[in-house]
Amino acid sequence: MVATEYLLGYLPILIFLGVALALSALFVFLPIGVSRITGSHRPDTAKLSEYESGFPAFESPRSQFDVRFYLVAILFIIFDLEAAFLFPWAVSLEFTGWPGWITMMVFLAELAIGFAYAWKKGALEWE
Amino acid sequence: MIGIEHYIVVSSILFVLGVLGIFLNRKNVIVILMAIELILLSVNINFVAFSAFLNDLVGQVFAMLVLTVAAGEAAIGLAILVIYYRSRGTIAVDDANRMKG
Amino acid sequence: MIQAFAFYLFAALVLASGAFTILARNPVHSVLWLILAFFNAAGLMVIVGAEFIAMLLVIVYVGAVAVLFLFVVMMLDIDFAELRSGLVRYFPLGLAIAVVLAAELVLGVGAYRAGALELGTPAAETAPLVGEANIVSIGALLYGRYLFLFESAGIILLVAMIGAIVLTQREARADAGRSQQNISRQVSRRPEEATVNTRPEVGQGVQL
Repeated sequence: MVATEYLLGYLPILIFLGVALALSALFVFLPIGVSRITGSHRPDTAKLSEYESGFPAFESPRSQFDVRFYLVAILFIIFDLEAAFLFPWAVSLEFTGWPGWITMMVFLAELAIGFAYAWKKGALEWE
Repeated sequence: MIGIEHYIVVSSILFVLGVLGIFLNRKNVIVILMAIELILLSVNINFVAFSAFLNDLVGQVFAMLVLTVAAGEAAIGLAILVIYYRSRGTIAVDDANRMKG
Repeated sequence: MIQAFAFYLFAALVLASGAFTILARNPVHSVLWLILAFFNAAGLMVIVGAEFIAMLLVIVYVGAVAVLFLFVVMMLDIDFAELRSGLVRYFPLGLAIAVVLAAELVLGVGAYRAGALELGTPAAETAPLVGEANIVSIGALLYGRYLFLFESAGIILLVAMIGAIVLTQREARADAGRSQQNISRQVSRRPEEATVNTRPEVGQGVQL
């Protein structure tokens, strides 16, 4: 069976999540409910249309993103995972010793090869 | 008390939801990729639950590797999706018939 | 008691957000539901004590993969209503397969509940270290006993990175032929280098 003592440390986080959920739901739904009850909820087409300094809107608010954002996001994922792998390595070095240290250096070298490739291909440059 | 059956039931339902998502959104590759992520998530829940209840950490180590592969899969899959959209102007899977002889 | 309450809360939320992920009309909403599903799955993992995997799920999935999906959804200008047209047609087939799969899974759990199956005993050397945190035990196992698996994970990351660059960099490579502006070269250019004075013979023309 699983040990449960450590879960007490997470109890404040759970309570915080509950409070945050309740408050955010309150802030969203209270104005809606109050406006319905007091009778000021009268939508019409002019009220529901999007407002752009008095003009009719020129275009859809959903504009297309540039593809270059995507490459940056991919590189971010890869290095994010690399950083995540560093955490357990750093705290368990006393158990793994030199083999653990060497294997992480090889891992970092692999990622450094990828980094150099990305740099050389110009994936990190905006222009 | 929460036992391993509870976790198996949750991950099973999540797995079935992922498979159902692939069938429901057969034209939309983005949602298919998200359904695959759901399937991998259910597998991860299963690994972690068994690892915890058997008191054996291999499941959690394997879940880390599954996470790595899933991130790589998402990156490459979405890259393929982007260049497919760039060359065809759509992402409908039914139109992917250019290699048909 | 609170543990059971938290489990049912997270389980219900993860299943609901999983269902909304595949049913939402707008892919942006799908991505947001997917984020919620991952977040609640992390909560489920915290309950059984896999703290590091839970945090990894939040960091990698909520922080990176979901953002990648959002980028792609926002990047592609697609008529999503048209893409959903097959929904009704494929619904019976998908439901049939889902029901068959669910029945098999229920059968499996039922067989386990019947008691004839043993879950097996773990190898002693892969048990968590006594008195150490979850992350320390994982680190000691991953960088000790399973270090070759770890290296292959590094290779997978390298391949994913190079593959993504090769796939998406094509347009940028076409741009590379266009000459770029080099401001310092422009400024340091003197008239003597740029112009040449010649006095050609009549009918000879100028050799450039």
